[in-house]
Amino acid sequence: MAAESGDGQAQPGQARLEIKKGFPRSAFGSSPSRGRHQRPGKAVSAVSLVQTLMTLFSWFELIASGLITGGIYALVALGLNLQYGLMRILNIAHGEFLMLGAYLTWMAHAVWGISPLLMVPVSFLVLMALGVLIHKLCFRRLTATSPNLDIFEARGLMVAFGLMFLVQNFASFMWGGDLRGYDYLTEPVKIGEAQFAGNKLLVFGLALLFSGALIALLRFTLLGKGVRALMQSPTGAQLVGIDTQRLHPLMFGIGLGLSGMAGCLLSMAYTITPSMGEPYTVTALIVITLGGFGSMSGALAGGLLLGVIEALGMHFTNPSLKALLSYSVFIAVLLLRPRGLFAK
Amino acid sequence: MVQPSKRQLLKGAAAAVGAAAFAPSLFAQASPVRIGYAIARTGPWTGGAQVSQEPNYLLWAEQQNAAGGLDVKGNRRPIELISSDDRSDIETCVRSYEKLMGSDKVDLILPPWGSNANFAVAPLANRMGYPVLAPTALSRKLVELKLPNFFLLLQQPDRMVGALVDMLVANGVKTVAVIYVDDLFGLENFSALKVALRSTGIQVVEEKSYPGDIKDLSPVLRSIKDKNPEAFIGLSYPPDTILASKQSKEIGFNPRFYYASVGTAFQLYRNVMTPAGAEGVLGMGSWNSKTSPAAKAYFDAHTKKFGGKEPDRWASGHCWAGLEILQAAVAKVGLERKAIRDYIAGNTHRTIIGDIKFTGSENTATPGTVGQWQNGEFEVVWPQKVATAKLSLVKPAWK
Amino acid sequence: MNDRQVLIRDLLLLLAFAGWALALPHYGSEFVVSMALTCLMYVALSSSWGLFCGSTRYLSLATSAFFGIGAYTSAIALEKMAWLESIALGAGIAAVVAVVMGAAVLHLRGTYFAVLTFGMTELIRHAVTYFEKKVTGTVGRVLTVVPDRDTIYLTVLGLAVLAVFVSIVLRRSRFGLALMGIGADEQRAQTLGVNTRLIKVAGFAMTAAFAGAVGAAMAVRWTYIDPHTVFNPFIGFQTVLIALIGGAMTLWGPLIAAIVFSVLAETLRLQAPQVYMMSLGLLLILSVLYLPGGLASLRWATFSGWWQGSRGWLRSLGSEERKNG
Repeated sequence: MAAESGDGQAQPGQARLEIKKGFPRSAFGSSPSRGRHQRPGKAVSAVSLVQTLMTLFSWFELIASGLITGGIYALVALGLNLQYGLMRILNIAHGEFLMLGAYLTWMAHAVWGISPLLMVPVSFLVLMALGVLIHKLCFRRLTATSPNLDIFEARGLMVAFGLMFLVQNFASFMWGGDLRGYDYLTEPVKIGEAQFAGNKLLVFGLALLFSGALIALLRFTLLGKGVRALMQSPTGAQLVGIDTQRLHPLMFGIGLGLSGMAGCLLSMAYTITPSMGEPYTVTALIVITLGGFGSMSGALAGGLLLGVIEALGMHFTNPSLKALLSYSVFIAVLLLRPRGLFAK
Repeated sequence: MVQPSKRQLLKGAAAAVGAAAFAPSLFAQASPVRIGYAIARTGPWTGGAQVSQEPNYLLWAEQQNAAGGLDVKGNRRPIELISSDDRSDIETCVRSYEKLMGSDKVDLILPPWGSNANFAVAPLANRMGYPVLAPTALSRKLVELKLPNFFLLLQQPDRMVGALVDMLVANGVKTVAVIYVDDLFGLENFSALKVALRSTGIQVVEEKSYPGDIKDLSPVLRSIKDKNPEAFIGLSYPPDTILASKQSKEIGFNPRFYYASVGTAFQLYRNVMTPAGAEGVLGMGSWNSKTSPAAKAYFDAHTKKFGGKEPDRWASGHCWAGLEILQAAVAKVGLERKAIRDYIAGNTHRTIIGDIKFTGSENTATPGTVGQWQNGEFEVVWPQKVATAKLSLVKPAWK
Repeated sequence: MNDRQVLIRDLLLLLAFAGWALALPHYGSEFVVSMALTCLMYVALSSSWGLFCGSTRYLSLATSAFFGIGAYTSAIALEKMAWLESIALGAGIAAVVAVVMGAAVLHLRGTYFAVLTFGMTELIRHAVTYFEKKVTGTVGRVLTVVPDRDTIYLTVLGLAVLAVFVSIVLRRSRFGLALMGIGADEQRAQTLGVNTRLIKVAGFAMTAAFAGAVGAAMAVRWTYIDPHTVFNPFIGFQTVLIALIGGAMTLWGPLIAAIVFSVLAETLRLQAPQVYMMSLGLLLILSVLYLPGGLASLRWATFSGWWQGSRGWLRSLGSEERKNG
């Protein structure tokens, strides 16, 4: 962690770099803090080299942290994309199920002492089951009763709307409005000179893993091929014998399962509140708009891209502008390239 | 339901007060003093409201009733609390107070939590002639409304920030980095900070604002870490205070002075960061149990009643002080609201956090203060005259 | 009942409603009046929303944006202008913004449009926040010039009555028929010579004007407004919810639903606020699934239809068990 130098007031970054790169301590004087105010002329080039190297590493940290955030965005967006691309259900309650996954993990950890890592598959399965149930209860009837696709989409949106209210307030009712959270793997991990929290790296790794797994599933397995066929042409797929009755609830469930899993991962690193889901729904919407409705790899790329854009934006301007930036990008893409940035 | 016993404690406390109000043997003669309020029990304001405010209302009413009731010019009358959840929603809040003052015609009201809600309720209460002592309202604009019935107990931004700057100057700090939350609190404190820094020689190496619902401050903190300031000032709310602290630990950002305004005074901060992790962190705090024997008594009573939940070291104390003032006023002049108002405005009050005196709506007697975590307690370290401990100049690495 | 009789009936109902609402402040307590105020606010918002969005099936989530614009307008304008002028200005600016927004996005349908309006609402909110911070150096505004309670009440009442009246009139006009035609089949409406673009923008602007006016009027109740409170998406959500559950395409649906929900909100407020919101969500789901026309389309036939449907469902469950068992 932080290295100590003589007077205990070392700035960790500077001291570490100093020792590692082998610069003579005399270049900075015997205490780094004094070194800031008196810069001996002979060490100017050493200083600027250090600064450049530090800047390079800062860039690395910056982009890497953007990617980490983007990994989560991608995971959430993939689930949403699956539901919209396949079933034309724009589930704006998606984030609420993320929140449920987070609360479940927190409860398991705080009350029963179960490791959050174990909860990753558990939250997936629980939320998947919930998704299948919700599809059967709510959306199946819509498919039967809606006269055309536009109306079905509109009604699906409204049902999702209702779900959003229901789930968010249910969580608020069950667990109250207090902030909750727990510590898991918060020790920093060093990669070169850059420092990240252990749990963030874990979250990133798992997010990439599951996104990749989903894409592989869709591309290489028979089930996946069936799903993609359905996405391309619903009637054609049915003609070839693909069972929409079973596939739709399953895919809806997988979508929600991914969301719940993302929530479980997020709970390790962030605070949990009933309203934590909405921003992720919005971000997922922006991501699938960027990547193109229905494109899985587009969602992955879009998520990572958005994370990096946000990180860079926050660095150069203000975090306050982050939202403005995201929404502007969103609206610009919707207006100018409605098929998404990566669409063919 | 996985609520910790807090809900049950609250319900139990409210029931106890209600029961006490009706206990026949003691209170057969006296009609109750009806005190109404709306407070956040759900929604974003809940965290603050349930730490700094509502527990104090309940504790106070219970203590008064245990002593036989509120002293109204010599007569003891039981307190009946009439409360509701404002759902962190201004319209609900306004409606609740309209009901309390307009239809229910309660004797006294206690304020809701936070500046926004107080902005809405203050003119209403003023119009209906109910004096209000607000412990969680912070804004010069509220003072500028010049409402005769409205009194702000907290020190306003210029004082708190002024105290911080004085402390930094006295310790030879030359560079600071500032982040502030994107709302009235953040902005007012930031403007006050800039004004206070102008005449010093301190250079601001970075100033960034952020939205209140931010999830990730690490890009900002990383760029601040690069610039290597001696002091970090976060004008933030509890969620972002904790976020900034945790992420500073993650990226190894550990300046000599680390200040985060709101949230550091909460027991929650120590729980989340661990006492070792919180060591040396500065923030807005103006009292602890060492401030006065009465403060210690209050602290112990609070902790005992709410199962180990401690009051926070800033607004909670001011809230209790406000209740003390109200109590003294009613004891002296009874329940006539105009007289209560005049009593509050015209006197210097001795409270657990020291003397309080109002100039217009503002409490001008309590100085701006800075607090610091030392050995698991949030001590007041500036200015000397109210300090409970000396400022520690060594901020250890985050643990 | 022929068309003329329906018109007279509607107008009489509106008159009765207006009269009752006018009388309320005289015998109701302050609390009842403020409850009625919120109810009237949602009557105005959801009726005007339903007029455009219900007929054309363009689900707009931008109500909060226009509400907030109106609120900010009155916060700034009240210091210099009279009350009614500020309201009118709020409506006007909201309408202008709607025209700009509409011209850009009204060619998209369905979910795209809904999502876009939501995005624009948030964009406007963040833009206003940023602008206020950087240019005027403040966050939020304090309303110092505040008219008395009765003025506010009468204004909102007037807006609600106006919204319903406009609904009544417009449904019989060519404009209203064009709107419904667009909702039924836009392409066919175009081939029949309807200038869909103009009509859509006009309808959207009208919704916005009402929302802006209501926002301008309600801002004074809170004394201090900031982007977070007045651009709160929940205002838009609740409007849409009420209109949909009441029956967005109908005349009286939104009004009935607004009253029902105001009462529901009050009764549940003290006990369990989340239960109110949860029931809102549940009601919406149920209404979309089983009553797409909304409350106003409830007829005896609907009930018997439900009864038959549930019997069929029970029967199918039984047969499934026989298959599996």
